[in-house]
Amino acid sequence: MSPLGPLLLAALLFSIGVYGVIARRNAVLVLMSVELMLNAVNINLVAFQNLLFPAELAVSGQMFALFIIGVAAAEVGVGLAIVFNLFRNRATVNVDDVDLMRW
Amino acid sequence: MAIDWLAIAPEVALTVTALLVLAADLALRGDAKQLVNPLAMIGTVVAIVFAVVLWAEAPRVAFEGQYVVDSFAVAFKLLFLGTLLAILAISARYFAEGRYFQGEYYFLLLTAFIGMLLMPSARDLLVLFIALETVSVPAFVMVGMRKRDLYSSEAALKFFLIGVLSAALMLFGMSMVYGFTGTTRLEGIAQALAGDAGSVPLLLGSVMLVIVGFGFKISAVPFHFWAPDTYAGSPLPVAAMLAVASKAAGFAGLLTIAFVAFEPVADVWAPVLGVLAILTMTLGNLVALQQRDLIRLLAYSSIAQAGYMLIPFGLARPGAEVVNQAAVRAVLFYLIAYAVMNVGAFAVAIGVNRRTGERSIRDYAGLGTRSPLLALAMTVFLLSLGGAPLTVGLWAKFAIIEAVAVEVTVFGLVMASFLVVNSVIAFFYYLRVIREIWFEPAAAEAPRLQPALSLSVVVVVLMVGTILLGVLPGLVADPTVVTTFATGG
Amino acid sequence: MTAHDLVFVIVGLVTAVSAILVVTSRHLMHAALYLALTLTGIGGVFLVLGAGFIALVQVVVYVGAVAVLFLFGLMLTRAPIGREALDSQNRGLGLAVAGALFVLLAALIIPAFGGESTAEVTGPTIEAIGIAIFADWVLPFEVLSMLLLAALIGAILLARREAGESGTEAEVTRIEMGEALADEPDRHEAVGTSAPAGELGAGGGR
Repeated sequence: MSPLGPLLLAALLFSIGVYGVIARRNAVLVLMSVELMLNAVNINLVAFQNLLFPAELAVSGQMFALFIIGVAAAEVGVGLAIVFNLFRNRATVNVDDVDLMRW
Repeated sequence: MAIDWLAIAPEVALTVTALLVLAADLALRGDAKQLVNPLAMIGTVVAIVFAVVLWAEAPRVAFEGQYVVDSFAVAFKLLFLGTLLAILAISARYFAEGRYFQGEYYFLLLTAFIGMLLMPSARDLLVLFIALETVSVPAFVMVGMRKRDLYSSEAALKFFLIGVLSAALMLFGMSMVYGFTGTTRLEGIAQALAGDAGSVPLLLGSVMLVIVGFGFKISAVPFHFWAPDTYAGSPLPVAAMLAVASKAAGFAGLLTIAFVAFEPVADVWAPVLGVLAILTMTLGNLVALQQRDLIRLLAYSSIAQAGYMLIPFGLARPGAEVVNQAAVRAVLFYLIAYAVMNVGAFAVAIGVNRRTGERSIRDYAGLGTRSPLLALAMTVFLLSLGGAPLTVGLWAKFAIIEAVAVEVTVFGLVMASFLVVNSVIAFFYYLRVIREIWFEPAAAEAPRLQPALSLSVVVVVLMVGTILLGVLPGLVADPTVVTTFATGG
Repeated sequence: MTAHDLVFVIVGLVTAVSAILVVTSRHLMHAALYLALTLTGIGGVFLVLGAGFIALVQVVVYVGAVAVLFLFGLMLTRAPIGREALDSQNRGLGLAVAGALFVLLAALIIPAFGGESTAEVTGPTIEAIGIAIFADWVLPFEVLSMLLLAALIGAILLARREAGESGTEAEVTRIEMGEALADEPDRHEAVGTSAPAGELGAGGGR
């Protein structure tokens, strides 16, 4: 199996995530788009590990993917708490309404 | 596999302290909760003792080359722990009076510093990533700690979104680097880059993406715009932490990854970082001129300072050992000087802000009569940030010029001239604050200020340090001369 | 094209299409459900790549926890009245940036990895992964545990609604903005003085 398929899928998911970050204004949806980008990274890592370096002893690629999953879960937890707190204060979660400070 | 406990002793000390703080916060009630602050300080002092012991024991290689304690790493660890001690001292009154979540705050602060201690020792992409996130995630929470404050929750959201986005970009770069080199060890990556892999465009792009992730932490242009809003909205001690410790951690990571892993392709990233250095300092200084809020002024000034510290990166060349080592030392020395004067400036801002809530530059009018100590200290710190003679700030800028002079290039001279011009611009806004402090009358109803004892001690120590290092820079410069990267096993 | 490749193409298509729906869906809940589908699809990709353990973790952590968390997050922060526009004015910009990024990445990836191919997909065994975690990677593993603890405590701290003690008394920061360089000359006036207190009263007193 060629690594091209997974790598191109990852590049596509990453680009979709970038689109979401730019185009969405709801903070939760922006966070979801970032998750798509992180998942693209995981596809890259697993594809490299299993298709190019299957014999590597330290299993760095898959291990990296596992750690990213763990960190992403932590980030989502904290992020949703931040968004929730903002919502209680402002009754909005739109990124472009969050503009008290400029310059 | 035996674990080298001494090599990670400072981190273990902070971890144990963090857990003790959490337990103590559960056990204590009401005003007794303030006791977690001295507890955290004791733990920090223990960690400092371990770090000093490690200075003599360096270099040590642990965890199969993932983790290296060399003199470079120990110098950074001492810098972080010293900053932590100062931040704990200036936090005590602020959090006790504000009735914030004290136990949780100190726990999160200590956790963030565990990540920072790991950063200069990490010799593996995975460890670097975890260290970076361990600094970031608690910081996201700490910024939003003034829960009912609109500015605080806005600051937290901006900081968080930019933080996770830059982490995602960095990870994409790291995954590609892994794909090309088959390893996450920095040494192995350097070997692969020195071979023929070093010319693939995708790999070079990935290297830049990895550098972007650290560009966010050090608030370099174009990833700077979170910094003023975040500093302004967060509790002031947290702003000091972000401006000094978190930024130093970003630089520690960037130095390691740039000069250990990506050194063979330095001719690709060095010009980019050099241009970013020029943009960062110029933009930071120009926008700082417009500010009315002191914290935002300090934020833009810290962006400009990050620009100065990026100059040595612009000098790097593959294989040029002397130039690269001089660059690393210049950044390290500048960071130490920057920590001393900037923590000091934030400490004074906290002292003035206490009870009165004052924070705009106009509120500093007549500070000279309201609190001579704070006024004098602020003057010293601001002059030092500007780079006036007899302060450590001048020597910090001199260290960068010295690195440029090791091997004179046109680009190096261009960056150095931008440094000089920007230093002159910066004096305008620093002097504006100083004029406000000494030559404007205080508002009629302005009370005299009574800074807390711990805060006064920090201010005095840092002020003495600023002047002492300004007269005798060798105290810090000589030890940092010996700092080098040890090679992983 | 082997059967293996065919399975990958099918799973990959499902994943890609549902990912596009995540960022274009006009309904909040649908976006979150498409995200769950995308994450499951990525788990399928891991299976096809021979990484059974990661696929399992992906389903348990991402689909089981993160996607559900997102659903809760969306439900708890829904705008009180009416349906709001989910997209900002930047859709054209986003499309241009994302399109250019994908074309660039594809153009760089195809020559770099086009030549590589493995006849048989074999990943490390679960045993090898387990040994690697607790021997080679024990340091980052332990640090991650501190990170997760910090995230847990931080999330509780920010999200809980407490009465009386701590946090509620934080006075509102009073920040004067710099000279407005943009086209909003009177911005700092409005922001510096009355706006925060008023809005806090309206929003925070719910």
